[in-house]
Amino acid sequence: MAWLFVRLKLRLIAGNLRGDTMRQVGFVFTMIAAVMVAGGGFILMSLLRLAPADVAVDAGMVLFTLLTLMWVVGPLLVFGVDETLDPSRLMLFPLTARQMAAGMFAASATGPWPLASLFFLLGAVVGLSRSATGVLIGLVAVVLQVALCLVGSRAVTTALSRVLRTRRGRDLLAVGVVFVILLTQVPNLMLNQGLGGDPREFLSGLALVVRWGPPGMAAHAIADGGPLGLAEVAIVGLVVLGVGWLWIAALRRAMVTADSSTQVGSVRPSRFDGLLPGGALGAVVAKELKYVRREPRGRMGWMAAIGFSGVLMFSLSSGPHGLEGSALAVAPACIGALMIGLQASNAFGIDGRALWMNAIVYSSDRDVRTDFAGRHLAVSLVAVPLLAVLSIAAALVAGHLPWALPALLTATGLLQVALGVGAVTSVILPYTYPERINAFTSAAPGQGGVAFAGSFGAMLGTSILAFPVVLPVFLGLGWVSVLTVPYGLVVAFAGRRLASTVGYARLPDLLGAVSRPS
Amino acid sequence: MTDFASEAGSSASAGSAGSPEAVRTRGLTKRFGRQVAVAGIDLVVPRGSFAGLVGPNGAGKTTTLSMITGLLLPDAGSVEVGGVDVWRDPVAVKAHVGVLPEGLRLFERLSGRELLSYNGQIRGIPKEEVARRAEELLKVMDLADSADKLVVDYSTGMRKKIGLAAALLHNPDVLFLDEPFEGVDPVSANTLVEVLQRYTSSGSTVVFSSHVMELVERLCDWVSVMNHGHIVAQGPLSEVRGGHTLNDTLLDLVGARGGGEEGLSWLGSSSI
Repeated sequence: MAWLFVRLKLRLIAGNLRGDTMRQVGFVFTMIAAVMVAGGGFILMSLLRLAPADVAVDAGMVLFTLLTLMWVVGPLLVFGVDETLDPSRLMLFPLTARQMAAGMFAASATGPWPLASLFFLLGAVVGLSRSATGVLIGLVAVVLQVALCLVGSRAVTTALSRVLRTRRGRDLLAVGVVFVILLTQVPNLMLNQGLGGDPREFLSGLALVVRWGPPGMAAHAIADGGPLGLAEVAIVGLVVLGVGWLWIAALRRAMVTADSSTQVGSVRPSRFDGLLPGGALGAVVAKELKYVRREPRGRMGWMAAIGFSGVLMFSLSSGPHGLEGSALAVAPACIGALMIGLQASNAFGIDGRALWMNAIVYSSDRDVRTDFAGRHLAVSLVAVPLLAVLSIAAALVAGHLPWALPALLTATGLLQVALGVGAVTSVILPYTYPERINAFTSAAPGQGGVAFAGSFGAMLGTSILAFPVVLPVFLGLGWVSVLTVPYGLVVAFAGRRLASTVGYARLPDLLGAVSRPS
Repeated sequence: MTDFASEAGSSASAGSAGSPEAVRTRGLTKRFGRQVAVAGIDLVVPRGSFAGLVGPNGAGKTTTLSMITGLLLPDAGSVEVGGVDVWRDPVAVKAHVGVLPEGLRLFERLSGRELLSYNGQIRGIPKEEVARRAEELLKVMDLADSADKLVVDYSTGMRKKIGLAAALLHNPDVLFLDEPFEGVDPVSANTLVEVLQRYTSSGSTVVFSSHVMELVERLCDWVSVMNHGHIVAQGPLSEVRGGHTLNDTLLDLVGARGGGEEGLSWLGSSSI
């Protein structure tokens, strides 16, 4: 049974690559990355040998725990539930839960990443062991550690597979991705700010936390090499069995519990809608405001923009080349504005296949212009207050509150420029957003090039057009910021005008480009 | 000759006078790469009829409907709806047709009510009027309880119903429906049929594509049969099917008879 699943997994990997050059290239890169992680990890872990014994053990325990966390969280964030391993696809075969667990364990051990992890961990045997028994115990500990990663990762995805199959679960997860990515910046920031104190103390503090976790014990066992190590390996083994048992239990449940995705609540009618004027413009604004709230792909972009600007706020000032003066207040808000604006560089992508609803109504380029105006108004309604908060926060961090004003003005102007440029790229380089998003693809198969050209073009265009008004502000001429908003509005208007003329003429093409199967 | 441009605003007058045809295409052609999806068809649908567009998968029905409704640019040929060229005067045509396309492509993150409201408002109908019509449509479609759920959480039947409601909201003269009954439960299908029959009895035109021959036979008074991108038969239902059922007629027309009896000798409970 296990061998069958391994072949199924290999077949799926091969089938996925057939005839699609982009995927083949992607796979080659994955292989290169895996080899680098395997080789680099092995060498890095081996080099722990050169460090003092206590530092080596601490680092080993922290790295083992990190690897386990990556295994547990990673598949959830990047892939959701992938094909081989989604029990719902195997439900109709006459397999017992135990057979399925064995098969799925074998399938999840197949692939470049489990092998890379194995090599990475084997490096620890070289780096941490101090005796012959240490090597022997180490080999067992490493195998158990790999098993723990696999079983833990499977148990969590299986337990959550019901949630992951519902719309709400996937929505939450999508937002979770941004959160986790931002979270990874925290230690970096803490070290930058000197909050962690001495790096070595920081490390031993972390090690203390993870010491009695199973990965920590596995790493410690290698270094110990004595009876304590043996006991620790035995405990890790028991934990693997325990998690495996939980996994089988979760599988059994997942195989017979119903999909609850249609049992969902209602949305409250928005009171704000009443304030908006009737007609096409008001309707588009109302729709877009709802999409900002309800569409996870949109929310991801907004959260990333705000989070990234927040991180920048602190990291720009530190280091030997840190910014100084008003630029420190202006830069985070401007980056936030740029990132928010760039989301509009494929405005119709988020509508996707629903765009026909507009296409069968719009009968002149004026209609398309109203549509763009509504979208821009909605983005501005949400973005400007956020940018104001960012500007004030950045000004406070920079140490001079009045700097918030030029920051807000410049950011707002920049946002308008980005929206104007985005309107044009939306109609010239439209592409489909995939239904399920992850960190690696932002376009439907075969449209990666268009997506890249679109976002890159929008960024380049915005930078060039915004340069004359933003640069003086950065250089300290704060009064120029008064000009940025009117300038931005003019660019946005021109962008909408050009985009609607081009866009209306090729509405059927646009519809085709954003409705690709993904 | 009644055309849309001259009767803007009063769409109830359809059916009595003017152009005898609700839809007419001439030499309509579409190629995808080397494959010819629609090979120069002359589709005719009389005004006020309940017309069915039938044919096997891949016959070109969806492509034809997309081109007629202005969602897909034809390679050659012309389309007239209510006597007005779709690609030359889109304003007049778009205001007077309703469309329910293939698949379930709606704004997923709006609630049913919000979807109707959005749809009516971008068509320039006053907000209060949109709200009034939307409430009635939701009630008739039996969607009142789900009006505030997001469309993404709707079942297939509910999606078809909300799609039809959106297509009817501006009281079009001609309604194009691509597979409106696919994946729809009997209760929802019955609601759809009742609404459509009420709509055509007032003299409006419905054009719909379907695989379900029994339904086409029950509802339609006019059929066009497509196969491999050509129209192989077209006319009043009774003429097209002669003395046979529509299903038999279709199978004869597309030449798909027999061949099912060889092989599979092991299948069924009589074998060991």
